[in-house]
Amino acid sequence: MAAPCRHVGHHIQKNGRFLRININQLFACSFSESKEAIVIPRKKSWNKEAVLEALASTVQRDPTAYPYQFQDDSYLSPRTSIEFKLFSLSQESGRAAAKYFVNSNPKLFTKDFAEPHIPYLMPESVALRLEEVSQEALEERISLRKVSAAVEMYDQLLQSGTAVSMETTHKLLDLICLYCDRDPVQEGTPQTEDRRKPMGRQAMDFLKCTWKENNNAERIFNLLPERDARCYSALIRGMVKHGAYAKAFNLYEDLLNNRLSADVHIFNALISAVPDVRKKNNERWDLIAELLNQMNEQKVRPNLLTFNSVLKALRQCSFLAKTFSPQILNEMKALGIAPSLATYEHILTVFFYKSASSGPSNMAILQDVLMELEGTSFTCQDPNDVLFFATAMKLCLDNKDLELGYKVHSLVEVGENWRLLGDSYQQALYYGRFFNLLCLMEHIDVVLKWYSRIVPSLLYPNPQGMKNLLQALDTDSRLDLLPTIWKDIKSLGHDNKVDLVEELLSLMARDEHSAEVQESFAACALDVKSVFGERPKKEWSTSSLSHISILLLRANKLQKAWDMLQLFKDKNRVPSGALLSSFLTACRCSASPQRAVELVQLSAAFSLPTTPELAKRTLAEFELNDKQR
Amino acid sequence: MASFGSKVFLSLGRTNVSGVGFKKTGNRATYATALTVNSSSTNKDLPARGGKGSTGRRPKRGPGEPRTEKMALDQDWTSVYPAATPFRANAVPLPLRMGYPVKRGIPPEKKGNLELIKIPNFLHLTPAAIRKHCEALKPFCTEWPSALDTDAKCDELFPVKIQSTDYVSAGPSIRNPSARVVHMKVKLSSLNLDDHARKKMLKLVGDRYCKDSDILTIKTESCPLRQQNYDYAMYLLTVLYHESWKIEPWEAEKTRADMEEYSWEDSTSQKNILDTLLRINATGEGEEAEVREQLLGREEVLEYKDSVETLKNEEPSESNMLRYKEAVRKVLKV
Repeated sequence: MAAPCRHVGHHIQKNGRFLRININQLFACSFSESKEAIVIPRKKSWNKEAVLEALASTVQRDPTAYPYQFQDDSYLSPRTSIEFKLFSLSQESGRAAAKYFVNSNPKLFTKDFAEPHIPYLMPESVALRLEEVSQEALEERISLRKVSAAVEMYDQLLQSGTAVSMETTHKLLDLICLYCDRDPVQEGTPQTEDRRKPMGRQAMDFLKCTWKENNNAERIFNLLPERDARCYSALIRGMVKHGAYAKAFNLYEDLLNNRLSADVHIFNALISAVPDVRKKNNERWDLIAELLNQMNEQKVRPNLLTFNSVLKALRQCSFLAKTFSPQILNEMKALGIAPSLATYEHILTVFFYKSASSGPSNMAILQDVLMELEGTSFTCQDPNDVLFFATAMKLCLDNKDLELGYKVHSLVEVGENWRLLGDSYQQALYYGRFFNLLCLMEHIDVVLKWYSRIVPSLLYPNPQGMKNLLQALDTDSRLDLLPTIWKDIKSLGHDNKVDLVEELLSLMARDEHSAEVQESFAACALDVKSVFGERPKKEWSTSSLSHISILLLRANKLQKAWDMLQLFKDKNRVPSGALLSSFLTACRCSASPQRAVELVQLSAAFSLPTTPELAKRTLAEFELNDKQR
Repeated sequence: MASFGSKVFLSLGRTNVSGVGFKKTGNRATYATALTVNSSSTNKDLPARGGKGSTGRRPKRGPGEPRTEKMALDQDWTSVYPAATPFRANAVPLPLRMGYPVKRGIPPEKKGNLELIKIPNFLHLTPAAIRKHCEALKPFCTEWPSALDTDAKCDELFPVKIQSTDYVSAGPSIRNPSARVVHMKVKLSSLNLDDHARKKMLKLVGDRYCKDSDILTIKTESCPLRQQNYDYAMYLLTVLYHESWKIEPWEAEKTRADMEEYSWEDSTSQKNILDTLLRINATGEGEEAEVREQLLGREEVLEYKDSVETLKNEEPSESNMLRYKEAVRKVLKV
């Protein structure tokens, strides 16, 4: 929909000749009114997007809105985290499918609607055009990322005797080493997606392909008449990326023997490979020190990634890390390299999780870090930057420090730092921990305020998070909010988590409350019952059944309560004596002796120890006719 | 007795268990029990099918509650509707109804209402939003010249006013063909025109002149670019001005039918009234022409002339008709 904005301007004479005459005339006759000169200021000029950016700055985040990529409709927005993942993946796959169609039928998509031209919307060339054996064909295959085709072309070129330029060879080696000699997965074909296993990121290594012996990269490398540092660099980095660590070091020795000097990328790769090559911490540190010395000798200037990989390698060296990481920070400062979030993340992990003693005194480190970073805007410089916020929040949660938690969150809200929260998994971790911290430490009103702000737009709490929320409600005696929480639990898809539901029921049934609260509880209990009813596989438990019955009784829904008793029988669960006596009291209030007798018979059927008591009470309190006796 | 009672219970229980009315989200079978880590990430993406019950189908996913329920009363509306978007029923917390009511009914509600989606809405331009936008746009503006503080001064110093519109919309193209239209407004009183020039100008422009406000509006949209349309409008103004001052030889052939306003001299009305009066005073005391002159000079005749001219030139109204009536009475001495 177009939003017209009016642009009314008074015309300043430029072209109209007659107007000049006219104005002069007018001036002559009416100038006597005002003696001021009319000063027309110069028009300001600005960037093309400046106006839009200014208008965009008036808009803040809408707390109830779902992420913008989803349809904003009550049917179509994702309500659980599973749906979130499913929808975003399906959107991506749809987009990939569309791109695939556009690219495979470029002749059908020639009309360009976009003004100014948007290259992404036009079909890209994915098919090879050059078929003859030539260097241009090789370059084309390299640019289209077709690894096997490129290798083939290279072999053909060598066989035919054409010389391939060094530049192209570098590119070819880079390509092969990056993709580990396999074709990268093309867009639009079905992909196996990576699964996140709870055991951590080591599991991800199993999915990467491993460097095979004597694969194409090595073969081509050996065939090269002269190898320079860049070729070595490609091979070493490829080996480290795909798991052939020892070979990488051997190749590095080779490089040194050939009296070539390595560049910073080689050193970064080697340093990150150190923990896999040496097993003992001392040896690891010695190797790292040696590499750094060599770097110094070869006059290679370290960059941010160097230090980050040193810290990352040190993480696995436990006690050594604590000693050496301050030194590394000092070196970074001396060289004038600003630490990135990944640096801080490594340091935090080192000091808190890898060392034997981690106590409240160590929170000072986190405080210092946050004070230094306050108000800074970050850009992503290292792939591990995204782990910082999750780790920081975990620290705050473990040490139950609310102040620092708020500080971390205020850092996230500065400018564009929210982008550094990472993908949806990291984001869920961060917000989940933040929410847990709030539930533990904050007053219930604040907790509810945050709850409405981040659920479900930013966070789909897991069952543990919901349990924490229930605890917080209990602590502050706001149990009247339980039915609304149950609605949220249902929409989040956690209504099949048996222990969560049971905890909810037990909280509801524990104490007596005022009348309308009881009503709402009873309605909630009925809801729970119907949820359970639709699930034939899930088992009822005695406690949940009895809780529901108690709630229904308290709200005087007798008929439904009787249905519950029947359920007891169906599911072979035994109601407690207390439950039956409260039933009896309810029967007395509603004056139905028939029911009382049935009750006694039921309890006899269950062979409860309280049967005689119940019988006595029934006899005493009700007027029974003979048949019922 | 007991068995009968239990049968009753059984039947009740059955209806309860198989009851519908509660719909839930899908994908249940693959859940694990509670984990500390976000359990969803370990589950398969494709939900397991079948095995849900006798029908083997998942129950339909019902609608969630609209997010209007969760909106705070003091929320920032400008963030909910930041730009022009179609009406979304679950984002607008107003109980709107729109549409033609069926017999004995009321207009349909807002949920799924196509009528509300079709029309343009201005939910993104509430007064609060406009205030914020103005604040944000102030840095782009320059100061208004302090000497131009009244409308009258602006009109006299800058008599020609140009108006054009810019359009912003979301889409692959930023061009909008309606943006080339240019309106040029000028007051004829600020142009130097004498009587003949003014009349000729009015004839030339025709509809484009508004009598009440004395503004000539020229709308140019025939060229593809706004700059071209502006130049064309300026050119038209120039040409009109010069042409209206020129007197062509054929203008001398202007007939009474071409006149813009009615003039009483030499009209049929004059002839008629003079004939009538002559016939009344039939005693001819001299030359006819002299008598006519004399009659013309008389007051009632002049008044008659005024009233006829008023009637013909302006719209007929009660007062004009009354005046005419009075004048006729006086002239005919009735």
